[in-house]
Amino acid sequence: MELESESEMLETYMERLSEIQDGEKYKQCLQCGTCGGSCPYGIVTKFTPRKMILAVRANIIDELLESGAQWLCTSCYSCSFRCPSQIPLTDGIIPAARELSLLEGNPPEELARALMNTARYGNPFKESPKKRDRWVKEVDFEIKTLADGPADVLFIPECFGAYHRRCKEVTKAMAEIFNRLGTDFAILGRDEKCIGDSNRLSGEFGLFEELVEKNIKAMEKNPFSRIVTIDAHAFHSLRSEYPRFGFSKPVLHHSEFLAENLETLKEMFSELEYIVTYHDSCYVGRRNGIYDAPRDVIRAIPGVEFVEMKRIKENALCCGGGGGGVWLDSFIKEFMKERPAEERVREAANTGADILVTSCILDIPMFEDALKMTGLEGQIVVKDICELVLEAIR
Amino acid sequence: MKICAILRTVPDLVEEIEVIDDEIEPFAYIANERDEHAVEEAVILKERYGGSVDVIGIVDEDSEEEIEEPLAMALAKGADRAIKLTMSNKSYRRIEQAKALAEYFKDKDYDLILTGIQGIDAFTGMLGPMLSVYMELPFTGYVTSVEAEDGTVKVQKELGGGLLGEFRVKLPAILGIVSAEKPLRFVPLAKLRQVMKKAEIEEDELEIPEFEGVQVVKYYEPEKPEIVLLEGEPEEVADKLIEAFKEIGVL
Amino acid sequence: MKDVAVIVEIIESTIQDISYELLGKAKELASQTGGKAVAIAMGNKVDVSSLPCDTVYYIEDDALENFCSLHVKVLSKIVQEVNPKVILAGNTSIGTDLAGHIAVELNIPVASLCNKVSVNENVRATSLAYGGKLLVDLELKERGVILANRGSFTAATEGSPEVKKLSLSDIGIEADNEIEFIDYIKPEEDVDISKFDVLVSVGRGIGGEENIDDAKELAELLGGEISSSRPVVDSEWLPKSRQVGRSGKTVTPNLYLALGISGASEHLEGVKAKNVIAINTDPDAPIFRVSRIGAVIDIFDVIPVLIDKIKEIKD
Ligand SMILES: Cc1cc2nc3c(=O)[nH]c(=O)nc-3n(C[C@H](O)[C@H](O)[C@H](O)COP(=O)(O)OP(=O)(O)OC[C@H]3O[C@@H](n4cnc5c(N)ncnc54)[C@H](O)[C@@H]3O)c2cc1C
Ligand code: SF4
Ligand code: SF4
Repeated sequence: MELESESEMLETYMERLSEIQDGEKYKQCLQCGTCGGSCPYGIVTKFTPRKMILAVRANIIDELLESGAQWLCTSCYSCSFRCPSQIPLTDGIIPAARELSLLEGNPPEELARALMNTARYGNPFKESPKKRDRWVKEVDFEIKTLADGPADVLFIPECFGAYHRRCKEVTKAMAEIFNRLGTDFAILGRDEKCIGDSNRLSGEFGLFEELVEKNIKAMEKNPFSRIVTIDAHAFHSLRSEYPRFGFSKPVLHHSEFLAENLETLKEMFSELEYIVTYHDSCYVGRRNGIYDAPRDVIRAIPGVEFVEMKRIKENALCCGGGGGGVWLDSFIKEFMKERPAEERVREAANTGADILVTSCILDIPMFEDALKMTGLEGQIVVKDICELVLEAIR
Repeated sequence: MKICAILRTVPDLVEEIEVIDDEIEPFAYIANERDEHAVEEAVILKERYGGSVDVIGIVDEDSEEEIEEPLAMALAKGADRAIKLTMSNKSYRRIEQAKALAEYFKDKDYDLILTGIQGIDAFTGMLGPMLSVYMELPFTGYVTSVEAEDGTVKVQKELGGGLLGEFRVKLPAILGIVSAEKPLRFVPLAKLRQVMKKAEIEEDELEIPEFEGVQVVKYYEPEKPEIVLLEGEPEEVADKLIEAFKEIGVL
Repeated sequence: MKDVAVIVEIIESTIQDISYELLGKAKELASQTGGKAVAIAMGNKVDVSSLPCDTVYYIEDDALENFCSLHVKVLSKIVQEVNPKVILAGNTSIGTDLAGHIAVELNIPVASLCNKVSVNENVRATSLAYGGKLLVDLELKERGVILANRGSFTAATEGSPEVKKLSLSDIGIEADNEIEFIDYIKPEEDVDISKFDVLVSVGRGIGGEENIDDAKELAELLGGEISSSRPVVDSEWLPKSRQVGRSGKTVTPNLYLALGISGASEHLEGVKAKNVIAINTDPDAPIFRVSRIGAVIDIFDVIPVLIDKIKEIKD
């Protein structure tokens, strides 16, 4: 059902902004252009966040939508991080415009498919919800489910961690670390639904809310004291968005959990002769300010030589997978010759590292693919931080 | 144009299907994808030429099938009326469904009836061609686009191997849609829920006649062949590959 | 009522491969029923003299040159005359239009999506329903119209049938305009790979644009098309329309022959083939996990041999 008119569109847009924290702040835009200058898509897009705000002011949102600029964003948070007026661009201006595209019925096809699958199956891959805990069979120790009893830690592998062939390796590595540390942990198993951050950032707010409700309900089945997740987007959503819906448990990114247990881990570490560099994933670093925990963990491993890339911490370049980016590959490729992930792995290779350590599950498929595309495969390997830790304690 | 699209649900293949000899119990049902394309095409035609779109959803009353959501989805996409037709008894025989529908469609005066071409459960023939015999209307299937031209429609029909044929079909007619001209339009969940809340879904019964003739002996799962790894000299490997090509019928 | 009839599919005045497969099966069934294998062909200036069967009903007319509403009327008349026990048609665009219709009109039970058929006093068929996830054995009372999938039966090649040539007026059918043929359209843009039964799909292992032609030749020999993984498209060795996967097309062929594709998740999300056969030098390549047959060998060693051998068979 298409939105009848320009004014109806603007009205819907404004209504959404009013529901987003600080949404009204767009009025304070200085038109300084910092946002566009920070954006990995700034050069190719017709509407940088600054121009999006102009388009809203000038009531030419349809022009904006037609340009497709609302989909040229992988929610890296650079613009919002740097905006002097602290306008919620990544969380507001952009997803609210995306919502209009969804209402018009014509988002990029890949993304539409992922959203529809998530609505139906609770994961974007069109996999059976019953297979969400299949990975458990691939480890040789018992893993309990929250429905069966309380636990200290609730471990959330999220969709990629539960279904994606390569990402499952990370999930299993983290589970094994819990096991070696003697952590009392449980999973939601088949009750877990997509945590939903990319649905929110894609403007599918209704779906996000439904997922939140279902997950909160699943988490109420038994007591636990905190959440640990390997998915940076799940981490962010559970920590910063879920509380709006009445959820209030501490949420840890797995790098924080590893850092917390570093003394015990140190006793288990054996030497690894690697040169390692670390990619600050947007939703671990820039978004949530976790810069030291992963670095401390990497540095604590004996034998490891740690080297930094050129752009680090709040200036780190996005892998291109966030905010629905993993479902926008062909759309974005139309605008760009080189994907951000390709630029990023070149930067990583330039450090001379053998291993590119990441801390967001989406980084792995993005970077492994980028290594192939840049011909750097074999020269540098992508590993999640918990995979590196597991290797050191094996 | 007064258009009707027929919507059925089929077992969701993403989920398990339990097999009990001559019965199957799917874990979940989903709108037949081809039928969704028929609905989409109906809405596209309405937008282009005006008129109305009725969508009828056929269900069997004692199964778990949920037609309400697919029907609401059709309304959200732009259909005018949604009608739920409950079959008086369960039937896998398309001929029975076709006869019943033909009866239902009497006096309904649709210019165009669209159905998805061949649902995944269409092992006893296809609804479209059968319906066309009972209704004495022309039918053609594998349609990918429709254009109205005074009293007729010009359709493109897939003929296989990437070739299309263009045909002129006299109205009223029945068309089997393989895919709509455009990708299925997206409906955000909040919008769907909103439509579901206030949608008026009309209800009616579909009197299913009995036809003997074709009967399910049993359902069963195909054997899952273990992967065979071929190694060796190119000659040897090529021979084995050719054997495999023959076995699956491509040579 | 012992004969086995085949609805011959003719497009652009060419008899389609599927018809030879159906005739192969028809001969076998006819030898069991003690009847004849009968081909029913409708067209214009088509050579039917060497169809592999006992009898051909060939209805020739200008108006029958291309598929239209006359075909179903003619077919219905001829079938009534032949009165066969089994009618075989392709589960194809034209096959389903025709067979679904006459089954109801002549009140013969019908089974579709079939890959097996046998006869006793009744007709038995196996249908590959539910996307191949389930098989359904069906029993059709006395007679049956069987819509068979491509590639289910072994093709018969040649014969010297008795040809009964008839015109429209011979059987008393007049032209109508319910469904008129206008024209053939060959998409100018690239083909839609999701519509093919056989895909030969190339990955980065193909090495370079110069090697694509070999894969194309193989695809042609197998009656299919060429598709690819994303790096091949990114490198512009093939157009975007050939890309299989998450950000490309989802394909459902009978055979997906993967040449030098590792099988990344993003690629496999688009591979919903009945049979995957993979050729890859790496025995641990994930593509093998979804394959029915995996050949651990260099594609450049095996493809030329394969091409030669298939050509030999075809000759
Ligand atoms: C967001 C996103 C979306 C994506 N979407 C898609 C998509 O839609 N489709 C897609 O395909 N990919 C997609 N990808 C890319 C995907 O992750 C992989 O990088 C890609 O599929 C790899 O292609 P490949 O198998 O051809 O190459 P590789 O993974 O490099 O594999 C090449 C294979 O060829 C083998 N090989 C090499 N030489 C020979 C030889 N001489 N003989 C035999 N075997 C040989 C090697 O052993 C290897 O297994 C996407 C990635 C991302 C991040
Ligand atoms: S950085 Fe902030 S204030 Fe500056 S133009 Fe962008 S949105 Fe406006
Ligand atoms: S969040 Fe990142 S990708 Fe999105 S607009 Fe801002 S800077 Fe660009």
